[in-house]
Amino acid sequence: MDVTAVDRSAVSGDTLLHHAAPASKLAATGLLLGAVMAVNDPLVAAGVALSLTGAGAAVGLPLRKMLPLALYPALFALIFAFAAAPGPVTGAVVVLKAVTAALAVVTLMFSTPYPQVFAPIQRVTPQVVGDALLMTYRSLFILAEKFADLTRAVRLRAGLSARQPVRSAQATIRALGGLLLYSLDLSQREYDILYLRGYEGGLRVTTRRSVDHKADTAAVLYAALILAVVLAFRMTPALSGYSWLVTVAGAVDLLTGLSIGRRR
Amino acid sequence: MSHIHIPDGVLPWWLWLSGWIAATVLIGIAADRATRSGSRRAVPLIGAVSALVLVAMSSEIVPIAYHVNLTVIAGVLLGPWLGLIAAFIVVLVLALLGHGGVTVVGLNALVIGTEIALGWALVRTGVRLAGLKRIRPVAAVSTVLTLAVTTTMLVGIVALAGAPATGRETGALDAETLEFRNPLSGGLFSIGLLGGHDHEHAEDEHEGEHAEDEHEGETLAVSRFAAVVYTLGPIGWLLEALVTAAVLGYVGKVRPGLLFGGQGVQGRVGRIGDEHGGR
Repeated sequence: MDVTAVDRSAVSGDTLLHHAAPASKLAATGLLLGAVMAVNDPLVAAGVALSLTGAGAAVGLPLRKMLPLALYPALFALIFAFAAAPGPVTGAVVVLKAVTAALAVVTLMFSTPYPQVFAPIQRVTPQVVGDALLMTYRSLFILAEKFADLTRAVRLRAGLSARQPVRSAQATIRALGGLLLYSLDLSQREYDILYLRGYEGGLRVTTRRSVDHKADTAAVLYAALILAVVLAFRMTPALSGYSWLVTVAGAVDLLTGLSIGRRR
Repeated sequence: MSHIHIPDGVLPWWLWLSGWIAATVLIGIAADRATRSGSRRAVPLIGAVSALVLVAMSSEIVPIAYHVNLTVIAGVLLGPWLGLIAAFIVVLVLALLGHGGVTVVGLNALVIGTEIALGWALVRTGVRLAGLKRIRPVAAVSTVLTLAVTTTMLVGIVALAGAPATGRETGALDAETLEFRNPLSGGLFSIGLLGGHDHEHAEDEHEGEHAEDEHEGETLAVSRFAAVVYTLGPIGWLLEALVTAAVLGYVGKVRPGLLFGGQGVQGRVGRIGDEHGGR
């Protein structure tokens, strides 16, 4: 899970979605999550997932970085589906729900800097929780980079080898121990900074406004359309025989999105 | 598999909503305690430890779909209340990275919060009884016990989700059968994926058979889930126990003052943040 790639794309990306207001993107993500919750047909769920991937490709988001993150929950969902779902159809819905929901949130995170995503969360959580959330995300990138450096250093010194699992495990644990001490030193430094700046609670984030109102409208309308399709299939049993049409439409979206993305 | 890797729209709404409500109340209490003890000190500490747990959780051991959690370590460093805030932050960030549903954040915060609190209590008690020199075996045993308890919580949640939709959902009484019935059971967000049936098969069955089979299907789904979790789980518990024991042993050796929120085992060492200046 390369979390640093998320931040790089969110901060330095320049796609249509990056131009939309964070509030619009959050609303669109909410609508998409509503669709994920309501969907109960695997063909409809597959169509939504394909369409979302196509939309990401069309606007020029880094799909190669996004898809591994979006597919990561499928592994756990697969185990859960195998263990708990009563049949293959339900199992397929569980896995597709995981992938589609992950695609929705990953699209949000790849196009929106994290303080902007956390700003509305900060407003509804206690101050210490909202501030700690911002501090966590900041520390996460520092620690992820430090851990990568530590494991690279151990690997270069031949400490990590598939032939010597015990030695590799010992080296990894030492790296984790070192990372723990580093993280506590980091918290100490952050405390010193907060102390010097006279922090008394309440790290404020200024909400960014929209650069392109068309992008706002497009994001919300697209998500609303997806939700409407899912609800139509959910509420009208007569449509269940035609759910393959949603998959086909999703595949067309994907191919179109990929073709638009390549032309950029 | 100590927390729920269940996507959105699988658990019934009343279950994940209850999780959110319970988590909100507990986090409110935890935040109040953290503010009273000084948020300037709590915020960076929670941030650093949450980030550490997130880094550990993002490194997955593929063949058994397990990732190290470091939750017991987080408990030892933060204590139960700050640990609960850290648990909420960790699951929220994970959900925003697509790892676990947004709707199950409340339930996940409760499961991981329990893991942190129980881990803290067991390690603290064990170290008080056996001494800091034996922190490795104490940490290993505490981790296994903690993970066994929270895994059972996880199975309990899935069992609740798979249980028949009755009075627990809305309390609506069916006057004909004198049974509680959920008027929203056919509603938009009552998914019932763990109800024991594939929907296609369910439509073809007679009503009477339907009820019986549904019960059987649910039992099978939950018991199968429990069998898988209790088979794969112990491998993860063992790995987690070894990592926790080794890391806490290392910290206990080089910086014992950092354990148990910087209060030390006997409460004699100063708090974290006081080490380099005592403000």
